[in-house]
Amino acid sequence: MSTTFETTLPEQAVQEKGETRATRIGKHIALFLVVIGAWECVSAFGWVDQLILPRPSAIAVSLVNLAFIQGNVWWHFGVTLYEALAGFVIGSAIGIALAIAAGLNESFRRYISPYIVAIQVTPRIALAPIVIAWLGFGIGPKIGIAALICFFPPFINTLTGLLNVDEDALEMFHSLGAKKSQIFWRLMLPNAMPIIMAGLKTAISLALIGAIVGEFISASEGMGVLMQRYTFSLNMASSFAVLVMLTVMGYILFVLTEAADNWLVFWRHDARMVALSKKKARNWRVD
Amino acid sequence: MMSALAVPSADASAAPSAQAAKVVIEAVNVTKRFSESVIAVEGASFSVEKGSFVSLVGPSGCGKSTLLRLIAGLIPMTSGTLTVNGREVDAPRKDVGMMFQRPTLLEWRTAVENVLLPTEMTRKPTTDDKKRAIELLRMTGLKDFEFAFPRQLSGGMQQRVALARLLQTGAEILLLDEPFGALDEFTRERLNLELLRIVDEIRATTLFVTHNISEAIFLADRVMVMTPRPGRLAQIVDVPFRRPREISLLQSPEFNELVTEVRAILGAGA
Repeated sequence: MSTTFETTLPEQAVQEKGETRATRIGKHIALFLVVIGAWECVSAFGWVDQLILPRPSAIAVSLVNLAFIQGNVWWHFGVTLYEALAGFVIGSAIGIALAIAAGLNESFRRYISPYIVAIQVTPRIALAPIVIAWLGFGIGPKIGIAALICFFPPFINTLTGLLNVDEDALEMFHSLGAKKSQIFWRLMLPNAMPIIMAGLKTAISLALIGAIVGEFISASEGMGVLMQRYTFSLNMASSFAVLVMLTVMGYILFVLTEAADNWLVFWRHDARMVALSKKKARNWRVD
Repeated sequence: MMSALAVPSADASAAPSAQAAKVVIEAVNVTKRFSESVIAVEGASFSVEKGSFVSLVGPSGCGKSTLLRLIAGLIPMTSGTLTVNGREVDAPRKDVGMMFQRPTLLEWRTAVENVLLPTEMTRKPTTDDKKRAIELLRMTGLKDFEFAFPRQLSGGMQQRVALARLLQTGAEILLLDEPFGALDEFTRERLNLELLRIVDEIRATTLFVTHNISEAIFLADRVMVMTPRPGRLAQIVDVPFRRPREISLLQSPEFNELVTEVRAILGAGA
């Protein structure tokens, strides 16, 4: 067969990049050091008050102190991570379930759409104090707020994905005499997967925001509490250290959803698609 | 008039039912209106014999695709009678398979998994089903690409997978709606030849929609010419060339005479 088979494409691309990779990373590090160095100077020479902008070196010392010497920061880290993850799972599950119901049932879709618009235009963060009033002061209300804030993107993306089915593919399924459930599982749902995953990627960052906001309002543990405690006592270096840890947390969550996307929506990721194609060829058995 | 399969069989006495070409698709006054003013197909009457290859040719919007969808049972007709294998068409059915201009492959499935889709509508694929799917992919020229995902395949190869999927349905009546219309000239020509070989091999009855006159004639035993607004069957033209057909047929004067004839019918109706 003379037609191109794209097996080699992604690997080639990686190879070409590999030659300049070291210099590229070097440039990134250099730029980072320049920015940090400038920041250090600005604070060290007293151009900006250290109470407003602590020195990077002071932040680093606080970070080491918090993370490895005191160590109790990890408990707060875990609490916030747990709130965000639980909120994300609950919010996304509700969002996706509602979207599937709306996607499959037109009258249900019609009835809920005004409420969906209302929820969309309401700044949902304003509900946070109400949720705390309902659920009390433990971890529960923070999970609730995280769920509330992150629920929308998975909902709207799932609905869009389910309704955005290729008419020709639908006709093909009809010509095969497919049942509704077969069309859902074999066409609509996998077809919606890329956009559902995009919604989940947005939701995970929103869930973390929800958890922190909940902790700001009223809490006794979590990174939001630490943040408030340090800023109130004007310990700015530690506040920034907490912020750095939150960045790390956000990044970990982002990487996890990226990995899930790579795994579930393999057909949009060349390298994984090619690998899976080879694996399926190896494992093919007619039994 | 008689199609390839109408060749008198050696043991006609043993199989009396095969003595004359059996009609598998019978349409009488089939009409499809989408609204009061939009008449897609009007009063189409024709019959298709078992094992024959019939082309449906006409300009865009002449109702040829609509007619095909009526036969496939995908849309209901407004009036008339339409039977396939003696049974009224009221829904998609097992003995009729359809292939579209776009391959409509599921991009999360490998070629062989796509081919197995029709089987999954009725049962969990068995060993035999899987063997058959691989065999069909080889028949359509996709050996070594059985486990490629659609995005790893060219447009022509994707349409080969779609053809293998159609054959996997086991349908004996194949409805093809401009199946290679989106492909380049060379690929289309090659796929047309392979299609002819395959439908002869499995003895399928084929209805092939196209707007390409010479393609319609080259492939078919009979060409049904349609004219638009409203979609009418202007004329049914018999194609006398014997099969299997060679690409050189396209250069013969007889072939070009027939092309001219069909073009004249289309011109008169437009």
